[in-house]
Amino acid sequence: MSLAEKYPQEIQKIFAKYPPEQKRSAVMPLLYLAQREEGFITKGAMEEIAGMLGIKVTEVAEIVGFYTLYHDEKAGKYRMQVCTDLPCALRGADKFIEELCGNLGVKVGETTEDGLVTVEAVMCLAACDKAPMLQTQGSDGINYHENMTVDKTLELIEALKKSVA
Amino acid sequence: MRKQVRLTIDDRQITAPAGTLIVNAAKQIGIDIPVFCYHPKMEPVGMCRMCLVEVGRPIIDRNTGQPVLEDGQPKIQFGPKLETACTTPVSEGMVVRGMSEKAKAGQNEIVEFLLTSHPLDCPICDKGGECPLQNLTMEHGPGKSRFLYDEKFHLEKRVPLGDLIFLDRERCIQCARCIRFQDEIAGEPVIGFYNRGRATDIVTYTDPGFDSVFSGNTTDICPVGALTTSDFRFGARTWELKSTASVCGQCPVGCNIVFNTRREAKADGRIVIKRVMPRQNEQVNEIWLCDKGRFAYHYTENGARLSRPLVKKNGKLEASSWDEAAAIAGGKLRSADGEVVVLASGRLSNEDLFNLKSLADGLGGKALLYTQMGGGDLTARFGVGAGTNFGEMGAGTTILVAASDLYNEAPVWHLRVKGAAKRGATVIVANGRETKLDAFAKYVVRYAYGDEVETINGLQQKEKIGEAITSAENLVVLFGSDGLGLNGTSNLAAACAELVQGRAGKPNNGLIGVWPKANDQGAWEIGFRPTDDLSSELKGKTVYVVAADPAGDDPQLAAALKEAKFVIAQELFQTATADLADVVLPAQAYTERDGSFTSGERRAQRFYAAVPAFGESQADYAITALVADAAGVELADSAGQVFENLVVTVEAFAGLTYEILAETAEQWPVVGRGDMYYGGTTYENTRGLGAHLVGWGERGETASRPRVQEETELRPKEGQWLAVPVTKLYDQGLTVRSSKLLESHIGAATVTLHPEAAKRLGAGAGELVEISLNGTTAQVSVLLDETVSASVALLPRGMGLPISGPVVAGLKKV
Ligand code: SF4
Ligand code: SF4
Ligand code: FES
Ligand code: FES
Repeated sequence: MSLAEKYPQEIQKIFAKYPPEQKRSAVMPLLYLAQREEGFITKGAMEEIAGMLGIKVTEVAEIVGFYTLYHDEKAGKYRMQVCTDLPCALRGADKFIEELCGNLGVKVGETTEDGLVTVEAVMCLAACDKAPMLQTQGSDGINYHENMTVDKTLELIEALKKSVA
Repeated sequence: MRKQVRLTIDDRQITAPAGTLIVNAAKQIGIDIPVFCYHPKMEPVGMCRMCLVEVGRPIIDRNTGQPVLEDGQPKIQFGPKLETACTTPVSEGMVVRGMSEKAKAGQNEIVEFLLTSHPLDCPICDKGGECPLQNLTMEHGPGKSRFLYDEKFHLEKRVPLGDLIFLDRERCIQCARCIRFQDEIAGEPVIGFYNRGRATDIVTYTDPGFDSVFSGNTTDICPVGALTTSDFRFGARTWELKSTASVCGQCPVGCNIVFNTRREAKADGRIVIKRVMPRQNEQVNEIWLCDKGRFAYHYTENGARLSRPLVKKNGKLEASSWDEAAAIAGGKLRSADGEVVVLASGRLSNEDLFNLKSLADGLGGKALLYTQMGGGDLTARFGVGAGTNFGEMGAGTTILVAASDLYNEAPVWHLRVKGAAKRGATVIVANGRETKLDAFAKYVVRYAYGDEVETINGLQQKEKIGEAITSAENLVVLFGSDGLGLNGTSNLAAACAELVQGRAGKPNNGLIGVWPKANDQGAWEIGFRPTDDLSSELKGKTVYVVAADPAGDDPQLAAALKEAKFVIAQELFQTATADLADVVLPAQAYTERDGSFTSGERRAQRFYAAVPAFGESQADYAITALVADAAGVELADSAGQVFENLVVTVEAFAGLTYEILAETAEQWPVVGRGDMYYGGTTYENTRGLGAHLVGWGERGETASRPRVQEETELRPKEGQWLAVPVTKLYDQGLTVRSSKLLESHIGAATVTLHPEAAKRLGAGAGELVEISLNGTTAQVSVLLDETVSASVALLPRGMGLPISGPVVAGLKKV
């Protein structure tokens, strides 16, 4: 089903925020809408959005490519995005992510066998003083988890598992 | 004029208009500041930092507003950091140091950074030898790398963006020139950056990939070997190539080009064309080409070309000698008693057409132009004046594009009109359907096919549009053949001519025909005229057909040719017409000989022989001279001589010489010299910018008001359709279909319908329908277009269906 068929009202609400001659500005909220579907943005969705906005699909793709919060590949239900930038690394983030991966039996960028969690390494999330830290990104939005340990993270994953079960 | 400011660059004092960017001010006095992302045809973006220079400005006393002096000289303060010369405008008293140690250090560092992720595989890179990065690495690169070779960043080396353009990801330096070209200049943002930082990648999401007819230009301005054409990829080293100046023969724009050639082992030691490159002519194509012009030349080297004269013996064409073939052809023409028809197309040069016209005149026969588009007598009178340049059009200029899909009919004009719109020109597009130019037009006038003349006649009565036309300082009207045949275009031309008639002869004013062939304008000037009943003209006559294939285009014309008394065909290939001929004469491709074309803007431009002749073929004008000789008419047989005869016979060419056409002048931006990094690999124009034909105004004649002919109206009955011809850039024309590279772009015949109309037929997009028109029935697939009216069916020309003009047709679902 196309986005237009599925979310007619929401799309209308998004368009209402922008002057009609600037409707291309709606590209980002529309992409978030599309991403809600499967956790990533399909080429079909990009084409549909390009059509709605009267721009080229490549222009839509550029936005998806540029912003790290848009995804173009299927992943687990939750993305665990661990900051591994320099300040966090100084507080042990690289060791943290390595151990976390070891515990989950995945490499950075991979998804756990049950399809629940994908571990990703990202740049500064502006919580350097509370490293190691990570954010989870799922259909319920984005949540920060600070001052983490591997054990606390495993507990978090258990909780997530329950919430989707 | 803009205010002039004085400044110093590398110890040289200059003046430049305020607002000029430092990099351009330097270029104007021959100082090359290295750049990668900056390109003189595009907005500066300051992305690559290659152009770092030291910039100092006079210290101004706040109380007096005067410069602070030191030893009688203004005291200059240099900024703590280097500045980018490509984004910084000049200012009064500025001092720029591009060669200082500090500036050099900055530039060197940028090169070193770039090289951390660049493979430097120049020995196998197509750009090698003409590569900005290679050149600047030689100049600024460290002799030794400080980085670990094993940690070098590697990426895919063969990413097809479309079937014509390949990307080498690791060579890309992310300057965005290609992306900006597609966006700013072509107006088709079909490639873009994906991801960021080191992961930045060039992508295309369109289907087919890199869906633009201007894609080849990105390979010229890419400052590295990241973008290459499938044509030239691994084809040759650039320093082995010879260059010959020429003019594109695919459409009336007349883009200036260079044929790069070399002797090739693969071709049995023959000299072959390796690639087509743009040659700068700011008044014609600037530094751009369309992909048809760049890639279609392969038809000239197709092995199926005719290589020997053929003569029909016992009902079969057999190889013959030039002497025999010319004697037979000439003899038949002489004995035809004036019942001679010379039928030629605008694919030929001025010289060829002039000799053919002289032959027809000498024999008392007719010189007919093979075309479906009329109005050339009017463009000859009301054509744009000498000095016309789309590049100078902006605010104050109105450009009307009537019944033309410029993107498909004459791509570089589409680009130029779009550019004028960007500079403030008022563009009006009047057409029966949406075309790509609509997006850049100020006014779009939509009519139902058939209402062209009425629509144009009514424009001046419209409030805003009328105002834009009548009060424009400059007015250019381009008319094409979208949906029209010979009569329709003739009437349209007359209606358009009325709009410009008071302005004839003035630069940037007048009428332009968007002709189907490169030299149709020349053919009209020389005296060729089309006829609306070709069939009856051919029957019973001795017919000399040159560069035209009536039999292949239309079964009715094939039948007429069969009834001709004698047929001489002069061609590149064994066409359907040649099959019917009694004598077949092999012509040289225009790449093999000298000559000149007249562009739609009435600019005569020379081209030169780039490669040796195929087989025994000869130049068209020379063949005609040979045949004429046997027919008892004396004609010149060298291009230069023919041109000399032409200029004394045809008034529009008066005063022109080959030398005048070969004159050049300094052009801006300066391209193609030692520094490839500034303008790209486009060639400098050293062999001629061409010259305008003389206009009526300049000849002291007054033009009379053109007359609109009566038009017979076509009214489809219930259940019938009005089929109209439209132009597709890549069609099955002889010069496209015979070029391997473009095969996948041609596709099959289609019919375009309004979605509602298609629904009534019960056919969806991509489905087959059966169409019958002009006595032919064929299956074609359906395309949908919401902007056409309901009972109209658009059929592309030259795609195998005989459609010379609007015609009533039947359609049904298969
Ligand atoms: S492909 Fe070439 S032109 Fe395009 S961004 Fe890369 S280096 Fe620049
Ligand atoms: S615009 Fe016309 S003349 Fe120019 S390159 Fe294309 S086909 Fe050739
Ligand atoms: S460096 Fe990790 S949050 Fe800032
Ligand atoms: S920043 Fe000036 S040329 Fe790129």
